[in-house]
Amino acid sequence: MQSEFIIEMLNIRKEFPGIVANDDITLQLRRGEIHALLGENGAGKSTLMSVLFGMYQPEKGEIRKNGEVVKINNPNDATALKIGMVHQHFKLVDVFSVLDNIILGAEDTKFGFLQKKEARKKVQQLSENYKLHVDLDAKVEDITVGMQQRTEILKMLYRDNEILIFDEPTAVLTPQEIDELMEIMRGFAREGKSILFITHKLNEIMAVADRCTVLRKGKYVGTVNVKDTNKQELSNMMVGRPVQLQVQKDEAKPGETILSVQGLTIPSKSSKKDAVKNVSFDVRAGEIVCIAGIDGNGQSELVYGITGLEKTSRGKITLNGTDISKASISKRNAAGLSHIPEDRHKHGLVLDDTLENNIVLQRYREPAFQKFGFIKKAAVREYAEKIIGQYDVRSGQGPVTLSRSMSGGNQQKAIIGREVDRENPLLIAVQPTRGLDVGAIEYIHSQLVSQRDAGKAVLLVSLELDEVMNLSDRILVMYEGEIVGELDPKQTTVQELGLYMAGAKRNTKGGEQA
Amino acid sequence: MKNTLLDLYRKDSTKKVLASLISILAGLVVGAIVVVLVGLSKPNIGASGIWDGVRLIFAGILSTGRAATGELSWGFNARALGNMLFRATPLILTGLSVAVANKTGLFNIGAPGQYLMGTMATLVVALSIPYGTMPVFFVWLLAFLAGCAAGALWGAIPGALKAFLNINEVLACIMTNWLAANVVTWVFEESNMKNIVEGTKAGYIYKTTYGLTQVDGAWTYVEGNGVATAKMGLDKIFPGSQVNGGILIAIVIAIGVAILMSKTTLGYELKACGANRHAARYAGIRDKRNIVLSMAIAGGLSGAGAALYWLSGNTEFFWSTYQSLPAAGFNGIPVALLAVNNPIGVVFSALFMAMLNIVGQQLTGFTAYNEYITDVIIAVIVYLSAFSLLIRTKLSGKSKAGKTNANAELVKTEEKPTAEAETEKGGEDA
Repeated sequence: MQSEFIIEMLNIRKEFPGIVANDDITLQLRRGEIHALLGENGAGKSTLMSVLFGMYQPEKGEIRKNGEVVKINNPNDATALKIGMVHQHFKLVDVFSVLDNIILGAEDTKFGFLQKKEARKKVQQLSENYKLHVDLDAKVEDITVGMQQRTEILKMLYRDNEILIFDEPTAVLTPQEIDELMEIMRGFAREGKSILFITHKLNEIMAVADRCTVLRKGKYVGTVNVKDTNKQELSNMMVGRPVQLQVQKDEAKPGETILSVQGLTIPSKSSKKDAVKNVSFDVRAGEIVCIAGIDGNGQSELVYGITGLEKTSRGKITLNGTDISKASISKRNAAGLSHIPEDRHKHGLVLDDTLENNIVLQRYREPAFQKFGFIKKAAVREYAEKIIGQYDVRSGQGPVTLSRSMSGGNQQKAIIGREVDRENPLLIAVQPTRGLDVGAIEYIHSQLVSQRDAGKAVLLVSLELDEVMNLSDRILVMYEGEIVGELDPKQTTVQELGLYMAGAKRNTKGGEQA
Repeated sequence: MKNTLLDLYRKDSTKKVLASLISILAGLVVGAIVVVLVGLSKPNIGASGIWDGVRLIFAGILSTGRAATGELSWGFNARALGNMLFRATPLILTGLSVAVANKTGLFNIGAPGQYLMGTMATLVVALSIPYGTMPVFFVWLLAFLAGCAAGALWGAIPGALKAFLNINEVLACIMTNWLAANVVTWVFEESNMKNIVEGTKAGYIYKTTYGLTQVDGAWTYVEGNGVATAKMGLDKIFPGSQVNGGILIAIVIAIGVAILMSKTTLGYELKACGANRHAARYAGIRDKRNIVLSMAIAGGLSGAGAALYWLSGNTEFFWSTYQSLPAAGFNGIPVALLAVNNPIGVVFSALFMAMLNIVGQQLTGFTAYNEYITDVIIAVIVYLSAFSLLIRTKLSGKSKAGKTNANAELVKTEEKPTAEAETEKGGEDA
């Protein structure tokens, strides 16, 4: 007799010295369902999956497949049970072709020679059946992130896995790719495969999942039918308190122009075309202007150009009345620019340095923090503690914590604290909530709004449509390096925004003043 | 925090020291094993010879030779200790050179070339200022500064290539090493500073204790008219050795470098560039300038090492270097590795490396063994110090279990779940 559940993790308890990562967690996956696993960063989702994959042995609890108790001692056991996973950070060999990556580790051989023909046939079949379009002969390093993800999915299918785990699969995808992935997942469920979908994005759960299990701080909160719940309820379960999903803000009261960009053109690093083409816009005090667009349409380059990280070929940037078109980065910072960078690990933090040193990253030369070239450690410490307290940056050892050891949300809070506290008239925030959980997002949004209300000009670059719609006072849409539209978030819809983002619609000429 | 010892063990710096000590111990043990094996294979050494060899490996620096009875005698060996200090001097500086570059994220394998250029500049300045034109101390100072400057220039070249053309500094350093070797050979070939041994083609550059003096109308080098680093009383403590004040200068420089790196804005900039060049740029730090500057400082330190060594006036320099590079330069790499790039640690690891060198001489002098056994020890230590990161991780693996993070998700960028044990516990649940 078949059990109702294909895989069950019953009363799992996993302790690490000093902390209980999983405390009596039960997760039951039905055959052919899409089951979401929801929890904030640190809720124990990864640990639970590691237990399922045999990387950790639980202290208590058991795992059952088809109702029978199984023992999973290592990832090979999991593979034998037909459990497959698409990791958040793909496990692909960049210089191998897509096909080679798919068969890697499960190669058919004859007399020690690879039998790629058979494999190719099987992969092609799968790719057609599930509409997973990939170029089997392209090298992984040359294909888009979306295609890399499809390669990972094909890897699971090639191994005939029937339990498919997706770990934060949408974090790296564009809105269109997310829709495609959702469709693919529904297809799998129809075929009778069972899907475990790890995420903290509520929209996606509402859109695709049948049931949802919520974890919080290592504990099991509950399993709900998605049909019978709503986003607010789910987020309350996840965070443990009522969460403000909608950003609370009053009407903007724009003042004088702080940032003025005129005819800015920035050459592309990867191709001969310009990444930013003749872009002009203003940001005024007391408003949040959002640059929307699909990733890779010149938003990053535009910000690099304004902040000085990349050279511009034409155009004029005026900040607070000063022409900074050719100024050095430190001069731009001094002229009144704060920048929450897109990549907090690359640009935002020196990960192998302490939190306090990172907090004074731009300010260590100020007389408050140095004398005759010697850093005033006590002053740095005091200032770091102020920022840590004021912006609720949580870390193991306070100011001397290694930045690398902090959680993503707290790293971002430290950066925001650092940038906001410099009291500059212009704040540029690029994808400030990427990869963060609901609690942190709520906090960051409220910070941005309060900066606006304090009379700062805020330039926000975001790929998240919700964020764009909720936060901004004005939306500029970028498409292929140009600003193709200026929209009022109160008078537009996500659908209309999507058309602009896809280049199907435009309401400005060339890159003239939007 | 009940157990302060455990706390001490958990500190990162303790682990660094422990990892280095483990490397050293392993090196010595391997050395001892080699001594035993060699002893067993050679009948003329015998059990007591093996025992002497093993003891010398571990404590040779304290051996004073053989007593009348034929037993090894132990005690304060002023000569050996003094020579150890003398040999450690250039190693401290080349070690600092490698360490400073490393802190800025650069691998300075160009220390031998910088050392050679420093050697050349020091000797040329010290030997070409005629005796009596200025006080001897100024000659010394000029020669020392020339050595530093030449090294700095030689370090800045790969630095500039790295900063502006993104050429790997390791490649550029290796090239500049050999450039230096040939330039130095050429300059001295053409100079009149050679002291050719009668009837042969072999010879040396005059020691700096020789000074250019007019004798009967001809310029000749006369011993005693040149410069030498002041002894600063060290010859009283270590009579019979080559030691001079250079070791004190080297230690002062090490302290200076430690202060530079940990307390100043320049050190902060250099470290920020090294740890994350992108973030440094983002913050408005001039990353290119700092890369050049870091390599120039590194080169200057190597040059200073050469200057202090040759200004001792103890040793003659064989100028024909086009086929070999000075070991003092390369040995800066293991010295820095062993010290985990800590400037104060460099002093100790350089002293240790110099000690091994002296122990080698003791082995040759007091037993039937050959001094090259110590090269085996050095090789093992170099090998293991490259692994010291691994050893450190192992040490961490055990102790960090105490605060292992169940919530590796806190650090999203880490590969999971294998990285879970690595990630420190963050604040979310602290």
